[in-house]
Amino acid sequence: MKALVKYAALTLFAIPWVIVPIWLVVVNSFKPAGEAAELGLGLPRTWAIAENYGIVLDRGGYLMGLVNSLKVTVPIVVAVVLLGAAAAWAFGRSRSRWLQAAYFVMGLSILLPPSIIPTVYLLRALSLDGGSLGYVLTMTGCRLGIVIFLATGFVRAFPRDLEDAAAIDGASRPQVFVRVLLPLLRPVLFVGGVILIINVWNDFFFALFLLQGSANATLPLSLFQFASGTLQSLNWNLVFAHVLLTTLPLVAVYVVAQKRVLAGLTEGALKG
Amino acid sequence: MVMRNRAAWLPWALPAIVLVMVFFVAPFLLNVRFAFSSWTSFRAEITWNGLENFSTLIDQDLLANAVTVTVVYAILCMAIQNTVSLSLALALQRTSRINTIFRSAFFLPTLISPLAAGYIWRGLLAPDGAVNSFLGLEWAWLGEPATALVVVAFIDAWKWSGLITLVYIAGLNSIPKSLLESATVDGAGPWTRFRRVVFPMLAPALTFNVAVTLVGALSAYDVIAATTGGGPGDHTRALNVVMRQQWGQGFFGSASALGFTVTLLVIATAVPLVWWLRRREVTG
Repeated sequence: MKALVKYAALTLFAIPWVIVPIWLVVVNSFKPAGEAAELGLGLPRTWAIAENYGIVLDRGGYLMGLVNSLKVTVPIVVAVVLLGAAAAWAFGRSRSRWLQAAYFVMGLSILLPPSIIPTVYLLRALSLDGGSLGYVLTMTGCRLGIVIFLATGFVRAFPRDLEDAAAIDGASRPQVFVRVLLPLLRPVLFVGGVILIINVWNDFFFALFLLQGSANATLPLSLFQFASGTLQSLNWNLVFAHVLLTTLPLVAVYVVAQKRVLAGLTEGALKG
Repeated sequence: MVMRNRAAWLPWALPAIVLVMVFFVAPFLLNVRFAFSSWTSFRAEITWNGLENFSTLIDQDLLANAVTVTVVYAILCMAIQNTVSLSLALALQRTSRINTIFRSAFFLPTLISPLAAGYIWRGLLAPDGAVNSFLGLEWAWLGEPATALVVVAFIDAWKWSGLITLVYIAGLNSIPKSLLESATVDGAGPWTRFRRVVFPMLAPALTFNVAVTLVGALSAYDVIAATTGGGPGDHTRALNVVMRQQWGQGFFGSASALGFTVTLLVIATAVPLVWWLRRREVTG
Protein backbone atom coordinates (compact mmCIF):
# COMPACT_ATOMS: atom_id res chain seq x y z
CA MET A 1 0.00 0.00 0.00
CA LYS A 2 2.78 2.39 0.98
CA ALA A 3 4.67 1.39 -2.16
CA LEU A 4 1.55 2.04 -4.23
CA VAL A 5 1.27 5.60 -2.87
CA LYS A 6 4.96 6.15 -3.52
CA TYR A 7 4.84 5.05 -7.15
CA ALA A 8 1.60 6.93 -7.75
CA ALA A 9 3.33 10.08 -6.45
CA LEU A 10 6.42 9.42 -8.59
CA THR A 11 4.25 8.93 -11.67
CA LEU A 12 2.34 12.14 -10.94
CA PHE A 13 5.67 13.93 -10.67
CA ALA A 14 7.07 12.35 -13.83
CA ILE A 15 4.16 13.65 -15.94
CA PRO A 16 5.06 17.37 -15.80
CA TRP A 17 8.78 16.69 -15.23
CA VAL A 18 9.51 14.31 -18.11
CA ILE A 19 6.49 13.30 -20.17
CA VAL A 20 4.86 16.67 -20.93
CA PRO A 21 8.11 18.41 -22.01
CA ILE A 22 8.97 15.56 -24.39
CA TRP A 23 5.40 15.33 -25.68
CA LEU A 24 5.28 19.08 -26.33
CA VAL A 25 8.38 18.85 -28.50
CA VAL A 26 7.30 15.78 -30.43
CA VAL A 27 3.68 16.72 -31.12
CA ASN A 28 4.37 20.35 -32.02
CA SER A 29 7.16 19.39 -34.38
CA PHE A 30 4.44 17.59 -36.40
CA LYS A 31 2.16 20.64 -36.71
CA PRO A 32 2.10 23.46 -39.28
CA ALA A 33 3.42 26.82 -38.04
CA GLY A 34 0.08 28.41 -37.17
CA GLU A 35 -1.12 25.46 -35.14
CA ALA A 36 2.21 25.05 -33.32
CA ALA A 37 2.08 28.73 -32.34
CA GLU A 38 -0.79 27.80 -29.97
CA LEU A 39 1.72 25.57 -28.10
CA GLY A 40 -1.07 23.12 -27.27
CA LEU A 41 -0.59 19.50 -26.24
CA GLY A 42 -3.30 18.09 -28.52
CA LEU A 43 -2.66 16.00 -31.62
CA PRO A 44 -2.12 17.94 -34.86
CA ARG A 45 -5.28 18.84 -36.77
CA THR A 46 -3.12 19.01 -39.90
CA TRP A 47 0.07 16.96 -40.05
CA ALA A 48 3.20 18.64 -41.39
CA ILE A 49 5.91 16.15 -40.52
CA ALA A 50 7.61 15.97 -43.92
CA GLU A 51 7.56 19.74 -44.45
CA ASN A 52 8.92 20.64 -41.00
CA TYR A 53 11.71 18.10 -40.94
CA GLY A 54 12.48 18.81 -44.58
CA ILE A 55 13.00 22.48 -43.77
CA VAL A 56 15.20 21.69 -40.76
CA LEU A 57 17.35 19.30 -42.77
CA ASP A 58 17.51 21.71 -45.69
CA ARG A 59 17.68 25.23 -44.24
CA GLY A 60 18.44 24.42 -40.62
CA GLY A 61 21.92 23.15 -41.32
CA TYR A 62 21.14 19.96 -39.44
CA LEU A 63 23.22 17.48 -41.43
CA MET A 64 26.25 19.73 -41.44
CA GLY A 65 25.77 20.29 -37.70
CA LEU A 66 25.57 16.55 -37.13
CA VAL A 67 28.80 15.93 -39.01
CA ASN A 68 30.52 18.81 -37.22
CA SER A 69 29.34 17.59 -33.81
CA LEU A 70 30.66 14.10 -34.49
CA LYS A 71 33.89 15.56 -35.86
CA VAL A 72 34.64 17.29 -32.56
CA THR A 73 33.00 14.98 -30.00
CA VAL A 74 34.81 11.80 -31.04
CA PRO A 75 38.38 13.22 -30.93
CA ILE A 76 37.72 15.07 -27.66
CA VAL A 77 36.34 12.00 -25.90
CA VAL A 78 39.09 9.69 -27.21
CA ALA A 79 41.85 12.18 -26.35
CA VAL A 80 40.54 12.95 -22.87
CA VAL A 81 40.01 9.30 -21.95
CA LEU A 82 43.33 7.99 -23.28
CA LEU A 83 45.57 10.90 -22.28
CA GLY A 84 43.72 11.16 -18.96
CA ALA A 85 44.27 7.47 -18.21
CA ALA A 86 47.96 7.67 -19.11
CA ALA A 87 48.44 10.76 -16.93
CA ALA A 88 46.47 9.20 -14.07
CA TRP A 89 48.82 6.21 -14.16
CA ALA A 90 51.82 8.51 -13.79
CA PHE A 91 50.19 10.66 -11.10
CA GLY A 92 49.04 7.60 -9.17
CA ARG A 93 52.40 5.80 -9.21
CA SER A 94 55.15 8.41 -9.36
CA ARG A 95 56.40 10.10 -6.20
CA SER A 96 58.08 12.93 -8.12
CA ARG A 97 57.31 16.32 -6.54
CA TRP A 98 56.98 17.93 -9.95
CA LEU A 99 54.32 15.49 -11.00
CA GLN A 100 52.46 15.92 -7.72
CA ALA A 101 52.51 19.69 -8.26
CA ALA A 102 51.17 19.17 -11.77
CA TYR A 103 48.44 16.91 -10.34
CA PHE A 104 47.39 19.75 -8.04
CA VAL A 105 47.06 22.07 -11.05
CA MET A 106 44.91 19.44 -12.81
CA GLY A 107 42.66 19.47 -9.73
CA LEU A 108 42.33 23.26 -9.86
CA SER A 109 41.30 23.07 -13.51
CA ILE A 110 38.18 21.12 -12.48
CA LEU A 111 36.98 23.78 -10.08
CA LEU A 112 37.90 27.03 -11.82
CA PRO A 113 35.85 28.23 -14.79
CA PRO A 114 37.68 28.27 -18.15
CA SER A 115 38.64 31.77 -19.34
CA ILE A 116 36.99 31.95 -22.71
CA ILE A 117 38.11 35.38 -23.94
CA PRO A 118 41.86 34.84 -23.50
CA THR A 119 41.29 31.45 -25.15
CA VAL A 120 40.03 33.21 -28.27
CA TYR A 121 43.09 35.48 -28.12
CA LEU A 122 45.44 32.53 -27.69
CA LEU A 123 43.87 30.53 -30.54
CA ARG A 124 44.16 33.58 -32.79
CA ALA A 125 47.86 33.88 -31.88
CA LEU A 126 48.30 30.19 -32.75
CA SER A 127 46.26 30.64 -35.99
CA LEU A 128 43.77 28.09 -34.69
CA ASP A 129 40.79 30.43 -34.23
CA GLY A 130 37.37 29.70 -35.61
CA GLY A 131 38.00 26.10 -36.62
CA SER A 132 37.39 22.65 -35.16
CA LEU A 133 41.01 21.93 -34.22
CA GLY A 134 41.25 24.87 -31.82
CA TYR A 135 37.91 23.88 -30.32
CA VAL A 136 38.99 20.25 -29.88
CA LEU A 137 42.28 21.22 -28.21
CA THR A 138 40.56 23.71 -25.89
CA MET A 139 37.81 21.32 -24.82
CA THR A 140 40.39 18.57 -24.27
CA GLY A 141 42.53 20.85 -22.10
CA CYS A 142 39.52 21.99 -20.07
CA ARG A 143 37.98 18.54 -19.54
CA LEU A 144 41.09 16.43 -18.84
CA GLY A 145 41.18 17.47 -15.18
CA ILE A 146 38.03 15.64 -14.07
CA VAL A 147 38.96 12.35 -15.76
CA ILE A 148 42.52 12.52 -14.39
CA PHE A 149 41.20 13.22 -10.91
CA LEU A 150 38.73 10.31 -10.93
CA ALA A 151 41.18 7.87 -12.51
CA THR A 152 44.15 8.77 -10.28
CA GLY A 153 42.09 7.90 -7.20
CA PHE A 154 41.36 4.56 -8.85
CA VAL A 155 45.03 3.88 -9.69
CA ARG A 156 46.07 4.64 -6.12
CA ALA A 157 43.47 2.24 -4.71
CA PHE A 158 44.97 -0.65 -6.69
CA PRO A 159 48.11 -2.46 -5.52
CA ARG A 160 50.87 -2.30 -8.14
CA ASP A 161 51.52 -6.06 -8.02
CA LEU A 162 49.70 -6.74 -11.27
CA GLU A 163 51.74 -4.17 -13.16
CA ASP A 164 54.98 -5.45 -11.61
CA ALA A 165 54.12 -9.04 -12.46
CA ALA A 166 53.43 -8.08 -16.07
CA ALA A 167 56.72 -6.17 -16.22
CA ILE A 168 58.64 -9.13 -14.84
CA ASP A 169 57.02 -11.29 -17.51
CA GLY A 170 58.70 -9.01 -20.02
CA ALA A 171 55.81 -6.74 -21.00
CA SER A 172 56.86 -3.26 -22.12
CA ARG A 173 55.27 -0.24 -20.51
CA PRO A 174 52.82 0.45 -23.33
CA GLN A 175 51.83 -3.22 -23.16
CA VAL A 176 51.24 -2.97 -19.40
CA PHE A 177 49.18 0.16 -20.01
CA VAL A 178 46.97 -1.48 -22.62
CA ARG A 179 46.66 -4.95 -21.03
CA VAL A 180 46.61 -4.17 -17.32
CA LEU A 181 45.85 -0.54 -16.64
CA LEU A 182 43.10 0.24 -19.16
CA PRO A 183 41.00 -2.82 -18.18
CA LEU A 184 41.50 -1.91 -14.53
CA LEU A 185 40.33 1.65 -15.12
CA ARG A 186 37.42 0.67 -17.34
CA PRO A 187 34.59 1.47 -14.88
CA VAL A 188 35.85 4.93 -14.06
CA LEU A 189 36.76 5.74 -17.68
CA PHE A 190 33.29 4.64 -18.74
CA VAL A 191 31.65 7.02 -16.26
CA GLY A 192 34.01 9.83 -17.25
CA GLY A 193 33.33 9.12 -20.92
CA VAL A 194 29.55 9.20 -20.48
CA ILE A 195 29.59 12.54 -18.66
CA LEU A 196 32.04 13.87 -21.23
CA ILE A 197 29.90 12.84 -24.20
CA ILE A 198 26.81 14.52 -22.72
CA ASN A 199 28.89 17.58 -21.94
CA VAL A 200 30.63 17.97 -25.29
CA TRP A 201 27.64 17.05 -27.48
CA ASN A 202 25.53 19.69 -25.73
CA ASP A 203 28.18 22.39 -25.39
CA PHE A 204 26.97 25.75 -26.60
CA PHE A 205 29.09 28.29 -24.69
CA PHE A 206 32.53 27.26 -26.00
CA ALA A 207 31.15 26.67 -29.48
CA LEU A 208 29.63 30.17 -29.55
CA PHE A 209 33.00 31.81 -28.90
CA LEU A 210 35.37 29.38 -30.63
CA LEU A 211 33.60 28.15 -33.77
CA GLN A 212 32.97 30.65 -36.54
CA GLY A 213 30.71 30.34 -39.53
CA SER A 214 28.15 27.67 -40.31
CA ALA A 215 30.84 25.47 -41.88
CA ASN A 216 32.08 24.60 -38.38
CA ALA A 217 28.84 24.97 -36.39
CA THR A 218 28.01 22.05 -34.10
CA LEU A 219 24.38 21.07 -33.45
CA PRO A 220 23.71 23.38 -30.47
CA LEU A 221 25.19 26.29 -32.40
CA SER A 222 23.15 25.46 -35.48
CA LEU A 223 20.01 25.18 -33.30
CA PHE A 224 20.70 28.62 -31.83
CA GLN A 225 21.37 30.22 -35.22
CA PHE A 226 18.24 28.60 -36.64
CA ALA A 227 16.04 29.70 -33.72
CA SER A 228 17.53 33.20 -33.61
CA GLY A 229 16.86 33.60 -37.32
CA THR A 230 13.15 33.78 -36.50
CA LEU A 231 13.65 35.72 -33.28
CA GLN A 232 10.57 37.94 -33.25
CA SER A 233 8.18 35.02 -33.15
CA LEU A 234 9.78 31.60 -32.89
CA ASN A 235 8.55 29.13 -35.47
CA TRP A 236 7.85 26.60 -32.76
CA ASN A 237 7.22 23.69 -35.13
CA LEU A 238 10.64 24.11 -36.72
CA VAL A 239 12.48 24.88 -33.48
CA PHE A 240 11.03 21.77 -31.86
CA ALA A 241 11.86 19.64 -34.90
CA HIS A 242 15.45 20.87 -34.62
CA VAL A 243 15.49 20.23 -30.85
CA LEU A 244 14.26 16.69 -31.44
CA LEU A 245 16.81 15.94 -34.15
CA THR A 246 19.62 17.50 -32.08
CA THR A 247 18.79 15.41 -29.01
CA LEU A 248 18.00 12.22 -30.89
CA PRO A 249 21.57 10.87 -31.41
CA LEU A 250 22.32 11.06 -27.69
CA VAL A 251 18.96 9.51 -26.76
CA ALA A 252 19.54 6.71 -29.27
CA VAL A 253 22.91 5.88 -27.71
CA TYR A 254 21.36 6.11 -24.27
CA VAL A 255 18.50 3.73 -25.12
CA VAL A 256 21.01 1.12 -26.28
CA ALA A 257 23.43 1.57 -23.37
CA GLN A 258 21.12 2.77 -20.59
CA LYS A 259 21.59 -0.22 -18.31
CA ARG A 260 25.36 0.23 -18.26
CA VAL A 261 25.12 4.02 -18.08
CA LEU A 262 22.80 4.01 -15.06
CA ALA A 263 24.67 1.22 -13.28
CA GLY A 264 28.02 2.86 -14.04
CA LEU A 265 26.92 6.24 -12.77
CA THR A 266 25.39 4.88 -9.56
CA GLU A 267 28.09 2.34 -8.76
CA GLY A 268 31.31 3.15 -10.55
CA ALA A 269 31.76 6.84 -9.90
CA LEU A 270 32.40 7.06 -6.18
CA LYS A 271 34.48 3.95 -5.72
CA GLY A 272 38.24 4.02 -5.69
CA MET B 1 63.44 -2.20 -12.17
CA VAL B 2 61.89 -0.28 -15.01
CA MET B 3 58.56 0.42 -13.30
CA ARG B 4 60.19 2.14 -10.34
CA ASN B 5 62.30 4.48 -12.42
CA ARG B 6 61.12 7.98 -11.52
CA ALA B 7 61.96 9.97 -14.63
CA ALA B 8 60.24 7.38 -16.79
CA TRP B 9 56.81 8.50 -15.58
CA LEU B 10 56.98 11.96 -17.13
CA PRO B 11 56.23 10.98 -20.76
CA TRP B 12 52.95 9.39 -19.64
CA ALA B 13 51.68 12.57 -18.03
CA LEU B 14 53.28 15.05 -20.40
CA PRO B 15 50.65 15.27 -23.18
CA ALA B 16 47.90 15.89 -20.63
CA ILE B 17 50.01 18.41 -18.71
CA VAL B 18 50.87 20.34 -21.87
CA LEU B 19 47.24 20.47 -23.03
CA VAL B 20 45.98 21.66 -19.64
CA MET B 21 48.79 24.20 -19.33
CA VAL B 22 48.35 25.68 -22.81
CA PHE B 23 44.55 25.58 -23.12
CA PHE B 24 43.46 26.06 -19.52
CA VAL B 25 46.21 27.56 -17.35
CA ALA B 26 47.63 29.99 -19.92
CA PRO B 27 44.21 31.55 -20.72
CA PHE B 28 43.53 31.69 -16.99
CA LEU B 29 46.71 33.70 -16.37
CA LEU B 30 46.15 35.87 -19.45
CA ASN B 31 42.69 36.70 -18.13
CA VAL B 32 44.20 38.20 -14.99
CA ARG B 33 46.14 40.56 -17.24
CA PHE B 34 43.32 41.33 -19.70
CA ALA B 35 40.85 42.11 -16.92
CA PHE B 36 43.05 45.06 -15.95
CA SER B 37 43.88 46.13 -19.50
CA SER B 38 42.42 48.39 -22.15
CA TRP B 39 41.64 46.23 -25.15
CA THR B 40 38.87 46.94 -27.66
CA SER B 41 38.10 46.30 -31.29
CA PHE B 42 38.77 50.01 -31.89
CA ARG B 43 42.25 49.91 -30.37
CA ALA B 44 43.83 46.49 -30.66
CA GLU B 45 46.86 47.40 -28.56
CA ILE B 46 46.56 45.87 -25.09
CA THR B 47 47.69 48.25 -22.36
CA TRP B 48 47.47 48.16 -18.58
CA ASN B 49 44.65 50.37 -17.27
CA GLY B 50 44.21 49.28 -13.66
CA LEU B 51 40.62 49.07 -12.47
CA GLU B 52 39.19 51.08 -15.34
CA ASN B 53 37.23 48.17 -16.87
CA PHE B 54 35.55 47.53 -13.54
CA SER B 55 34.78 51.20 -12.88
CA THR B 56 33.31 51.60 -16.38
CA LEU B 57 31.09 48.56 -15.82
CA ILE B 58 30.01 49.97 -12.44
CA ASP B 59 29.26 53.38 -13.98
CA GLN B 60 27.06 51.68 -16.58
CA ASP B 61 25.16 49.93 -13.75
CA LEU B 62 26.17 46.58 -15.21
CA LEU B 63 28.47 44.96 -12.67
CA ALA B 64 26.56 45.06 -9.37
CA ASN B 65 23.36 43.83 -11.01
CA ALA B 66 25.16 41.04 -12.87
CA VAL B 67 26.85 39.83 -9.67
CA THR B 68 23.54 39.86 -7.77
CA VAL B 69 21.69 38.06 -10.57
CA THR B 70 24.45 35.44 -10.88
CA VAL B 71 24.63 34.73 -7.14
CA VAL B 72 20.84 34.53 -6.70
CA TYR B 73 20.60 32.32 -9.80
CA ALA B 74 23.29 29.97 -8.46
CA ILE B 75 21.66 29.66 -5.03
CA LEU B 76 18.21 29.04 -6.54
CA CYS B 77 19.61 26.51 -8.95
CA MET B 78 21.52 24.66 -6.22
CA ALA B 79 18.50 24.63 -3.87
CA ILE B 80 16.00 23.39 -6.48
CA GLN B 81 18.36 20.82 -7.95
CA ASN B 82 19.46 19.28 -4.65
CA THR B 83 15.95 19.23 -3.17
CA VAL B 84 14.50 17.46 -6.19
CA SER B 85 17.45 15.10 -6.64
CA LEU B 86 17.74 14.08 -2.99
CA SER B 87 13.98 13.41 -2.81
CA LEU B 88 14.10 11.32 -5.98
CA ALA B 89 17.18 9.47 -4.73
CA LEU B 90 15.50 8.60 -1.42
CA ALA B 91 12.45 7.31 -3.31
CA LEU B 92 14.48 5.34 -5.87
CA GLN B 93 17.39 4.18 -3.71
CA ARG B 94 16.75 0.44 -3.90
CA THR B 95 17.77 -1.16 -7.16
CA SER B 96 14.65 -2.90 -8.42
CA ARG B 97 13.13 -3.23 -11.84
CA ILE B 98 10.49 -0.53 -11.34
CA ASN B 99 13.00 1.85 -9.73
CA THR B 100 15.35 1.39 -12.67
CA ILE B 101 12.56 2.41 -15.04
CA PHE B 102 11.92 5.59 -13.04
CA ARG B 103 15.64 6.35 -12.73
CA SER B 104 15.95 5.95 -16.47
CA ALA B 105 13.00 8.29 -17.12
CA PHE B 106 14.21 10.97 -14.72
CA PHE B 107 17.68 10.82 -16.33
CA LEU B 108 16.30 11.84 -19.75
CA PRO B 109 16.41 15.65 -19.21
CA THR B 110 20.16 15.33 -18.55
CA LEU B 111 20.66 14.27 -22.17
CA ILE B 112 18.99 17.42 -23.50
CA SER B 113 21.27 20.39 -24.12
CA PRO B 114 20.68 23.36 -21.79
CA LEU B 115 19.93 25.40 -24.88
CA ALA B 116 17.21 22.98 -26.03
CA ALA B 117 15.90 22.79 -22.44
CA GLY B 118 15.54 26.57 -22.58
CA TYR B 119 13.46 26.42 -25.76
CA ILE B 120 11.27 23.59 -24.43
CA TRP B 121 10.38 25.40 -21.22
CA ARG B 122 9.98 28.70 -23.03
CA GLY B 123 7.23 26.93 -24.97
CA LEU B 124 5.67 25.32 -21.90
CA LEU B 125 5.73 28.55 -19.90
CA ALA B 126 4.52 30.90 -22.66
CA PRO B 127 1.53 33.07 -21.64
CA ASP B 128 -0.77 30.83 -23.72
CA GLY B 129 1.29 27.69 -23.04
CA ALA B 130 0.48 24.38 -21.37
CA VAL B 131 1.46 25.36 -17.82
CA ASN B 132 -0.83 28.38 -17.79
CA SER B 133 -3.74 26.56 -19.36
CA PHE B 134 -3.39 23.87 -16.68
CA LEU B 135 -3.25 26.46 -13.89
CA GLY B 136 -5.91 28.70 -15.46
CA LEU B 137 -3.49 31.63 -15.58
CA GLU B 138 -2.09 33.90 -18.24
CA TRP B 139 1.18 34.75 -16.56
CA ALA B 140 4.29 35.57 -18.60
CA TRP B 141 6.63 33.48 -16.45
CA LEU B 142 9.73 34.52 -18.34
CA GLY B 143 8.56 38.06 -19.08
CA GLU B 144 7.72 39.22 -15.57
CA PRO B 145 10.52 40.47 -13.26
CA ALA B 146 8.96 38.61 -10.31
CA THR B 147 9.37 35.13 -11.80
CA ALA B 148 11.91 35.31 -14.64
CA LEU B 149 15.04 34.53 -12.61
CA VAL B 150 13.41 31.74 -10.59
CA VAL B 151 12.08 30.10 -13.75
CA VAL B 152 15.41 30.29 -15.58
CA ALA B 153 17.17 28.74 -12.57
CA PHE B 154 14.47 26.07 -12.46
CA ILE B 155 15.13 25.12 -16.10
CA ASP B 156 18.85 24.73 -15.42
CA ALA B 157 18.08 22.60 -12.35
CA TRP B 158 15.63 20.51 -14.38
CA LYS B 159 18.29 19.74 -16.96
CA TRP B 160 20.85 18.47 -14.41
CA SER B 161 18.65 16.83 -11.75
CA GLY B 162 18.84 13.35 -13.30
CA LEU B 163 22.61 13.14 -12.98
CA ILE B 164 22.68 14.57 -9.44
CA THR B 165 20.02 12.02 -8.42
CA LEU B 166 22.35 9.20 -9.44
CA VAL B 167 25.20 10.65 -7.36
CA TYR B 168 22.86 10.78 -4.35
CA ILE B 169 21.76 7.19 -4.95
CA ALA B 170 25.43 6.14 -5.00
CA GLY B 171 25.95 8.02 -1.74
CA LEU B 172 22.88 6.45 -0.11
CA ASN B 173 23.92 2.96 -1.16
CA SER B 174 27.37 3.43 0.36
CA ILE B 175 25.84 3.74 3.85
CA PRO B 176 26.43 0.45 5.72
CA LYS B 177 23.14 -1.37 6.33
CA SER B 178 24.31 -2.46 9.81
CA LEU B 179 24.38 1.18 10.91
CA LEU B 180 20.73 1.67 9.97
CA GLU B 181 19.75 -1.63 11.56
CA SER B 182 21.40 -0.82 14.87
CA ALA B 183 19.71 2.59 14.86
CA THR B 184 16.36 0.84 14.36
CA VAL B 185 17.14 -1.57 17.21
CA ASP B 186 17.90 1.44 19.39
CA GLY B 187 14.38 2.68 18.67
CA ALA B 188 15.06 5.39 16.09
CA GLY B 189 12.10 6.21 13.82
CA PRO B 190 12.43 6.94 10.09
CA TRP B 191 12.91 10.70 10.58
CA THR B 192 15.53 10.25 13.35
CA ARG B 193 17.32 7.66 11.21
CA PHE B 194 17.42 10.10 8.32
CA ARG B 195 18.63 13.01 10.47
CA ARG B 196 21.14 11.11 12.63
CA VAL B 197 22.46 8.42 10.29
CA VAL B 198 21.62 8.95 6.62
CA PHE B 199 22.17 12.70 6.39
CA PRO B 200 25.62 12.77 8.09
CA MET B 201 26.75 9.70 6.13
CA LEU B 202 25.63 11.38 2.93
CA ALA B 203 28.14 14.20 3.49
CA PRO B 204 30.58 13.29 0.68
CA ALA B 205 27.81 13.15 -1.93
CA LEU B 206 26.25 16.32 -0.51
CA THR B 207 29.59 18.17 -0.56
CA PHE B 208 30.15 17.15 -4.13
CA ASN B 209 26.65 18.01 -5.34
CA VAL B 210 26.30 21.36 -3.59
CA ALA B 211 29.75 22.47 -4.76
CA VAL B 212 29.23 21.25 -8.32
CA THR B 213 25.78 22.78 -8.73
CA LEU B 214 26.76 26.14 -7.21
CA VAL B 215 30.01 26.46 -9.14
CA GLY B 216 28.36 25.30 -12.38
CA ALA B 217 25.49 27.75 -12.04
CA LEU B 218 27.86 30.70 -11.56
CA SER B 219 28.85 30.21 -15.22
CA ALA B 220 25.20 30.33 -16.34
CA TYR B 221 24.68 31.27 -19.96
CA ASP B 222 22.94 28.72 -22.22
CA VAL B 223 19.47 28.61 -20.65
CA ILE B 224 19.32 32.40 -20.43
CA ALA B 225 20.37 32.73 -24.09
CA ALA B 226 17.53 30.44 -25.14
CA THR B 227 14.83 32.03 -22.95
CA THR B 228 15.13 35.64 -21.84
CA GLY B 229 18.40 36.87 -23.33
CA GLY B 230 18.93 38.71 -20.04
CA GLY B 231 15.49 40.32 -19.75
CA PRO B 232 13.00 41.47 -18.71
CA GLY B 233 15.11 44.61 -18.33
CA ASP B 234 18.23 43.29 -16.67
CA HIS B 235 16.54 40.83 -14.30
CA THR B 236 18.29 37.72 -15.68
CA ARG B 237 21.41 39.42 -17.02
CA ALA B 238 24.03 37.18 -15.42
CA LEU B 239 27.78 37.87 -15.64
CA ASN B 240 28.36 35.67 -18.67
CA VAL B 241 25.44 37.30 -20.51
CA VAL B 242 26.98 40.75 -19.99
CA MET B 243 30.36 39.30 -20.95
CA ARG B 244 29.00 38.08 -24.28
CA GLN B 245 27.35 41.47 -24.92
CA GLN B 246 30.57 43.36 -24.13
CA TRP B 247 32.50 40.97 -26.35
CA GLY B 248 30.00 41.46 -29.17
CA GLN B 249 30.35 45.24 -28.89
CA GLY B 250 34.13 44.97 -29.09
CA PHE B 251 34.95 45.74 -25.44
CA PHE B 252 37.31 42.81 -24.94
CA GLY B 253 38.93 44.20 -21.78
CA SER B 254 35.58 44.68 -20.05
CA ALA B 255 34.50 41.22 -21.16
CA SER B 256 37.66 39.78 -19.58
CA ALA B 257 36.92 41.71 -16.39
CA LEU B 258 33.49 40.06 -16.25
CA GLY B 259 35.02 36.63 -16.82
CA PHE B 260 37.47 37.35 -14.04
CA THR B 261 34.56 38.28 -11.75
CA VAL B 262 33.03 34.84 -12.37
CA THR B 263 36.36 33.28 -11.39
CA LEU B 264 36.47 35.34 -8.17
CA LEU B 265 32.91 34.29 -7.32
CA VAL B 266 33.78 30.64 -7.92
CA ILE B 267 36.80 30.86 -5.63
CA ALA B 268 34.84 32.78 -2.98
CA THR B 269 32.11 30.10 -3.09
CA ALA B 270 34.10 26.93 -3.47
CA VAL B 271 36.89 27.40 -0.95
CA PRO B 272 34.78 28.06 2.18
CA LEU B 273 32.10 25.62 1.05
CA VAL B 274 34.44 22.69 0.57
CA TRP B 275 36.23 23.55 3.84
CA TRP B 276 32.98 23.85 5.82
CA LEU B 277 31.32 20.77 4.38
CA ARG B 278 34.48 18.70 4.85
CA ARG B 279 34.68 19.72 8.50
CA ARG B 280 31.05 18.75 9.04
CA GLU B 281 31.76 15.49 7.27
CA VAL B 282 34.40 14.61 9.87
CA THR B 283 32.50 15.72 12.98
CA GLY B 284 29.24 14.29 11.60
